[in-house]
Amino acid sequence: MESGKMASPKSMPNDAQKMAQILKDMGITEYEPRGINQMMEFAFRYVTTIPDDVNIYSSHAKKATVDADDVQLAIQCRADQSFTSPPPRDFLLDITRQINQTPLPLIKPYSGPKLPPDRCCLTAPNYRLKSLQKKASTSAGRITVPRLSVSSVTSRPSTPTLGTPTPQTMSVSTKGGTPMSLTGQRFTVQMPTSQSPAVKPSIPATSAVQNVLINPSLIGSKNILITTNMVSSQNTANESSNALKENRRLKDGDAILRRGKLEKDCVCRLLKEEASIMYLKAKSDFLCVLDKEELCF
Amino acid sequence: MAALAEEQTEVAVKLEPEGPPTLLPPQAGDGAGEGSGGTTNNVGSVAVEDQPDVSAVLSAYSQQGDPTMYEEYYSGLKHFIECSLDCHRAELSQLFYPLFVHMYLELVYNQHENEAKSFFEKFHGDQECYYQDDLRVLSSLTKKEHMKGNETMLDFRTSKFVLRISRDSYQLLKRHLQEKQNNQIWNIVQEHLYIDIFDGMPRSKQQIDAMVGSLAGEAKREANKSKVFFGLLKEPEIEVPLDDEDEEGENEEGKPKKKKPKKDSIGSKSKKQDPNAPPQNRIPLPELKDSDKLDKIMNMKETTKRVRLGPDCLPSICFYTFLNAYQGLTAVDVTDDSSLIAGGFADSTVRVWSVTPKKLRSVKQASDLSLIDKESDDVLERIMDEKTASELKILYGHSGPVYGASFSPDRNYLLSSSEDGTVRLWSLQTFTCLVGYKGHNYPVWDTQFSPYGYYFVSGGHDRVARLWATDHYQPLRIFAGHLADVNCTRFHPNSNYVATGSADRTVRLWDVLNGNCVRIFTGHKGPIHSLTFSPNGRFLATGATDGRVLLWDIGHGLMVGELKGHTDTVCSLRFSRDGEILASGSMDNTVRLWDAIKAFEDLETDDFTTATGHINLPENSQELLLGTYMTKSTPVVHLHFTRRNLVLAAGAYSPQ
Repeated sequence: MESGKMASPKSMPNDAQKMAQILKDMGITEYEPRGINQMMEFAFRYVTTIPDDVNIYSSHAKKATVDADDVQLAIQCRADQSFTSPPPRDFLLDITRQINQTPLPLIKPYSGPKLPPDRCCLTAPNYRLKSLQKKASTSAGRITVPRLSVSSVTSRPSTPTLGTPTPQTMSVSTKGGTPMSLTGQRFTVQMPTSQSPAVKPSIPATSAVQNVLINPSLIGSKNILITTNMVSSQNTANESSNALKENRRLKDGDAILRRGKLEKDCVCRLLKEEASIMYLKAKSDFLCVLDKEELCF
Repeated sequence: MAALAEEQTEVAVKLEPEGPPTLLPPQAGDGAGEGSGGTTNNVGSVAVEDQPDVSAVLSAYSQQGDPTMYEEYYSGLKHFIECSLDCHRAELSQLFYPLFVHMYLELVYNQHENEAKSFFEKFHGDQECYYQDDLRVLSSLTKKEHMKGNETMLDFRTSKFVLRISRDSYQLLKRHLQEKQNNQIWNIVQEHLYIDIFDGMPRSKQQIDAMVGSLAGEAKREANKSKVFFGLLKEPEIEVPLDDEDEEGENEEGKPKKKKPKKDSIGSKSKKQDPNAPPQNRIPLPELKDSDKLDKIMNMKETTKRVRLGPDCLPSICFYTFLNAYQGLTAVDVTDDSSLIAGGFADSTVRVWSVTPKKLRSVKQASDLSLIDKESDDVLERIMDEKTASELKILYGHSGPVYGASFSPDRNYLLSSSEDGTVRLWSLQTFTCLVGYKGHNYPVWDTQFSPYGYYFVSGGHDRVARLWATDHYQPLRIFAGHLADVNCTRFHPNSNYVATGSADRTVRLWDVLNGNCVRIFTGHKGPIHSLTFSPNGRFLATGATDGRVLLWDIGHGLMVGELKGHTDTVCSLRFSRDGEILASGSMDNTVRLWDAIKAFEDLETDDFTTATGHINLPENSQELLLGTYMTKSTPVVHLHFTRRNLVLAAGAYSPQ
């Protein structure tokens, strides 16, 4: 730390002078001048919050006047809260004895990158999108699908990434650099009802609710997670077609993605009946084909 | 004392109904580390909010005598020691510091604030200069409540301060103390000090000064007697093609010995098993992958081009200065092949630079990855996304300054440890964070990958070092024993041992297999900030805030060298690739090169297994110093020897 230019001691306020003296007594010769300001702030905060606490405790105990006990209690509580210290030695030695007893685990060879279970990693998507209220549009049976591309990293572990859906583009592009730091959670992707130019033009203007449920807990190191599910407008009545319940793992999701139409549509695992219903209702040939070919994994 | 103890117990039960009456017999000369026995305190101090564990710990202090007499006791002892024979005086003077601290703390604990203050005023100037920092901390502890939060002082209380005194001096002391009527000092000595008695000549002041300085006194001789496997593990045999271009490296017929449970293999019969090397399977190590084998071949090729260093052939030093860091550079690491530099900063970012012309690229997106031909030869280049090529990558994730950084040997991962208490594992393929290891809840000062990858060690403010494996979210081993923060953690080249340097001024060597402390090295007079093992695994060099570099023989557990020259904290140390030169970088903006061969050469001839473990260090720092290289006001934070023995140094320009 550099000892920058400090205000000359005479011009400093009294409190600041005292802080400088404390630092000098404790043998700290080099410090940033802002340190004194920090110390004063701390002192002020301490000296004002403790009496507040004292009043609270005293009134809670229904005492007429404030007591030394209240003050001690307030100090104690504040200290336990803010000034925690590392665990004491006997506790440390205890857990040390426990942990050091177990032999070192053997290493499985050829098991790919050695990372902890996925729930302990930071590789899962960390957001969920809420579902919009569905506006009924029963006429159009088309499924409007946001473009969600799912990436799978088969050779590397981790980061099956989902990009963030923006209001404009309903396409979710994956970005490799996005840090994902939440544990796997189910989430729904909310698709705004406004159409985006990114979506293929065949989609009618009235779009149905699109609820996308993504279950990142299924993100495995070698698998991909399927992203969304499109609920067709016919299912609006059937709210439970928030069969955005499950996702299914695509072993070779890339193969599916490559198919052109999948740019529009997304597949997710539904209960088998609902899946078949949906697909039957869907006008897209592709989906029917998909149903036959891909649903059985 | 027995009758008195019972009396005290009864009173204790009355006054402190919530605390358990801890009545343990005083242990004489027992091992350090456990709470020493003591009767519960019962004099006028009913703690309002006394947690049971703290009171048990603090109850190591009993009211042994009249507080006003403490000054007299101490003066009496001082007088006696000063009047004793010269040869004994140096040894007995070791008593001053621990006695002073324990007596002061007793007074504070028993709430005799005024007596404590006057006691401190009177005698603190008599202590050795290297204890001044401790005394300053002590001067701020004036009330019992202050002691509760200070873990280091609490540990000091419960552990026994070790003194090594010759039998003659000890007899003298014992006789004197037992003669006196009020032998309070004798009680304190019994309770709080461990006197390691040896037969032989009393030590001189110089010898003692070299070894003392730590918060726990010296190390007991038994602590340094267990066997340590300091040899190196055998390298797996890989056939290196003699022609560079003709054959690819893939035709190794190495038999990685790790696959076999027994360590014999055809090639090794010709080489003798090093008796000091650990068995190959002592700790599980990751298998050697193809990419690792390629790396090893590259390493071997580079080795042939390595420059042999010596006093007449000094290495060139290439300095990487971090500009505009504004004192924010807190950690640096360089990969083994010197291709990447990582810097940890106070703004909680980790930045990775490519030192070679080859830029940093991240892996393509999955959709693109599926399009490439997996069988092509250059698949490793094709998976890289050209659009992301840049010289610098910034890694965000920590929420506090990053104090430690370490690359994995295979350059796939980077570890960083931070003030937020976590250690993060970053992928260098995607430049994202993979795992956050939470265990320390306090700043983690240092972390390092094992030389074989997979394991890493971290040390922090909670006074422990932890051993982790990348695929376990909880630590595998906890190395607890230091009295203050663990500042520096390093693996031994054979990955079986971990060295930790601490703010309690000791260096400890821990066994990875069972977590035991196998060596304790005392002698530094300030917190230790740098450690490095010699490439042959036999020696350890340590640097601290006192500006000295100390050299230790691991096998014998002794100090074998002292390198004086730096005027400020030695914050980086590194041996050259073959161990001929030791480079040290310091906060005094210099890099110094020392002759390591000469520093260690006398050891072969001397006999170290002396019972006393005495050392007579030659004052040869000047001869060993090969060169001093100044920087322009840039403290040298990191040192690295490339595979060809070029020195890379790193630091942040900090103009005054």
